[in-house]
Amino acid sequence: MMENAWLIPIFPLVTFLVLLLSGGRLRERGAYIGIIFTLASFVLSVLALVERLTAPTYKTTMDWLSIGGTQLTAGFEINQLNALMLVIVSFVSLLVQIYSLGYMKGEERFSTFYAYLGFFTFAMLGLVMAPNLVQLYFFWELVGVGSFLLIGFYFYRQEAKDAAKKAFIMTRIGDVGLLIGIILLFWETGSFEYEEIFQAVQAGVIPDGSITLIAILIFIGAVGKSGQFPLHTWLPDAMEGPTPVSALIHAATMVAAGVYLVATMFPLFLASDAAMQVVAVTGGFTAIFAASIATVQKDIKRVLAYSTISQLGFMMLALGTAGYVAGVFHLMTHAFFKALLFLAAGSVIHAIHTQDIERMGGLWGRLKWTGPLFLAGTLAISGFPLLSGFFSKDEILMAAWANGNYFLFSLAVITSFLTAFYMFRLFFMIFAGESRIQAEQVKESPAIMLLPMLVLGILAVVGGYIQTPWFGTFLGEWLVEGNEAVLGSGHSEGPVWIMLLAVLIALAGIFLAYMIYAKTKLPREWLVKKDSTLYRILENKFYIDEIYYFTIVQLIKGIGLFLSYVERFIIGGLVTTVTGSIEGLGKIGSKLQSGQVQQYGMIAFLGLAVLLVIFALTGGYLR
Amino acid sequence: MSVSGELIAFFGVALVAILGGVLLITLTKVVHMVIALVFTFLSIAGIYLLLSAEFVAIVQILIYSGAITIVMLFGIMLTKHRENDEPSKGGWRKFSLLLAIAGFAVAVYLGIYDLDIPVQPTALHEENTKQIGIELFSKYVIPFEVMSVLLLVALVGAIVLAKKDNEEGDRS
Amino acid sequence: MTGVPLSAYLVLALVLFCIGLYGALTKRNAVIVLISIELMLNAANINLVAFSKFGVTPSITGQVFSLFTITIAAAEAAVGLAILMSLYRNRKTVNVDEMDIMKH
Repeated sequence: MMENAWLIPIFPLVTFLVLLLSGGRLRERGAYIGIIFTLASFVLSVLALVERLTAPTYKTTMDWLSIGGTQLTAGFEINQLNALMLVIVSFVSLLVQIYSLGYMKGEERFSTFYAYLGFFTFAMLGLVMAPNLVQLYFFWELVGVGSFLLIGFYFYRQEAKDAAKKAFIMTRIGDVGLLIGIILLFWETGSFEYEEIFQAVQAGVIPDGSITLIAILIFIGAVGKSGQFPLHTWLPDAMEGPTPVSALIHAATMVAAGVYLVATMFPLFLASDAAMQVVAVTGGFTAIFAASIATVQKDIKRVLAYSTISQLGFMMLALGTAGYVAGVFHLMTHAFFKALLFLAAGSVIHAIHTQDIERMGGLWGRLKWTGPLFLAGTLAISGFPLLSGFFSKDEILMAAWANGNYFLFSLAVITSFLTAFYMFRLFFMIFAGESRIQAEQVKESPAIMLLPMLVLGILAVVGGYIQTPWFGTFLGEWLVEGNEAVLGSGHSEGPVWIMLLAVLIALAGIFLAYMIYAKTKLPREWLVKKDSTLYRILENKFYIDEIYYFTIVQLIKGIGLFLSYVERFIIGGLVTTVTGSIEGLGKIGSKLQSGQVQQYGMIAFLGLAVLLVIFALTGGYLR
Repeated sequence: MSVSGELIAFFGVALVAILGGVLLITLTKVVHMVIALVFTFLSIAGIYLLLSAEFVAIVQILIYSGAITIVMLFGIMLTKHRENDEPSKGGWRKFSLLLAIAGFAVAVYLGIYDLDIPVQPTALHEENTKQIGIELFSKYVIPFEVMSVLLLVALVGAIVLAKKDNEEGDRS
Repeated sequence: MTGVPLSAYLVLALVLFCIGLYGALTKRNAVIVLISIELMLNAANINLVAFSKFGVTPSITGQVFSLFTITIAAAEAAVGLAILMSLYRNRKTVNVDEMDIMKH
């Protein structure tokens, strides 16, 4: 099956082209085309994964360009990580497309939406299959375009337009870093192929300083795409897009691209301790930073967005502490439970038409399906024992501990506590307490929306059992198979008390949230006063946007203003001078064209006379 | 250089020719200008005589003083024109033209001044007309015929030009 | 025999040519312009005839040539006047500076 894996990204591309060429005439029928083709992709991905379980890595390339002695190739590669990512991406994409059938009902541009989804899925699948950095960068940018289109889907709303632009520009900053990193890497190794690069790295061809620099530059690309601090600000704003899009792009796939990038380039990062430190510290800081913001946000989707940033930080932390398996494992489980949470949030929004959690409450009895599914997702992300998030988070804590970095370990523990707290704050504010919405307005979502949530819910619960300390570490062993020397063992061993601590921390967070938001035994201002400085800082997301606005944006605006004056007065002046002088010449010329034959004759004779006089004066026939 | 009859004759004739030209420029009435030019044409015929070109002189008198002048007078009379040809405006134009003509004249004069071709005895004055006739009908017979065709074309063209508008004018 | 030198004839021709040129370029009446051009042609004819007698190789050719020139001048005068007539009929003027419809 792996020989035909190139078909996997082609199917969504076909969707995109068909829907694009049909020009919106297909309307809701377009959705079925999208779903069928994505299903085909998914089936192929699963077959490829199943085959990859036993067969070796499959890679095929063909020559694309040859520049001097350098061959640029194009092709695809199916290794463990790629196969896993293919399944995750096509699976989430499929579920989101099914879900959208219900969620986007009545939407004018139904087929456009599915065309964009197809395009994005194509780009993302192409990204994870790329066998070299050029192809990866190519799809990397296509993913950016797809996300831009989807975030700005409601382009008639100013906020959506701004959010789309912000996402595009912020990720572009990271992309520049990635591009420079790729170019430097090519300069050092003369190749874009992963294998040759890793061989060069292990052979010690590249100086240590260069490796660190390249790794950090590539990591900047990952920072942009995965919404890590300090380029995270676009991700919460990107919630302006339709909720299914948030589930697909900003939970499961695109933001995971950064993590995927670091995981793919893992041997390169391993070669530089400094780069690993940067990755780990950035991840750890982002995790706790975003989690703290999430505790006070009032918009359901924004809470989930900050939670996503925080969880991505977790993954980076895992990768940075040499926990390759832990990072990828958490990437997978996170894709399931965060997609579930977003879809469930979409279901809630669909039911009550608001995103403000302070106006929700008491929905537990009303949303008989959404409620338990949301609870499952919340429990999973909080690290409640025996759910998927529990195992993957445990793996990360183990990795951090095994790495010996106790500061990062404590950061991760505190973040776990905060995660449990803010997720249950969200849950209780939505589902517990007094109902603030008229009963007849609340309607459970249709089955077409519940079905994907149900599938994801099951996976969020059981997805962790492919890698547990008790039933075997199947995923880890498979992931590092044939590469143990580089990627480390499939499982980090750690003291048992770490697991107990994680459970305790999660339960403590849940309990605290319960006391404050469900039972209201404790006042809401028990932790932090509403008018305190800390609360305001958190509510304003550490003023990061404002800092950017007053420093970078104003600086660029200043430069722009200066340049616009240069343009208007210097360049414009030059242009006006040129056009003016030409125009003046033309006017003089047209005055000469008076139609007076005698004047013409006179001027002609004047010229002749001048020539003759010059001729006579300078000699000519006289000498 | 002793004064000979030829020299006196030349200066007299040349004076009349230049005077006619100057009058052409300075006179205001159009008809007067044409009459002044007749003098110039006649004196040029005299110059031809001095240059022992009797036949050309006769042709000059017949064609220019006779035919062309008469045609021009007809042209003047057939067109309604202001009695006086008031000079065109634009002093700087005339001035620069005069300057250019002066420069041109000086430049050409410098060329003439240095010209020194030894005088050779010629037999042009003996049976001048016969010589021209022999030359025309032997050596230059083809240009002669071409010239006759040209004249015919000019004749037809002039008639067509003058007549076509008449018909159109009649129709309208 | 001391006669009139060649240069005297040439200077006379030059003066007549300059007068004709000035008239052709400044006079407003089209008929006068035509006549001025005839004068210029005459000046050229004087040169031809003069060189036919005083040239490096004197011969009758110069006179024959001047005859051709006179013929062409006559034809030119006839056609020029015909054009002038039709122009006058269309535009009711013979002033050269009013004949400017060819501009632009």
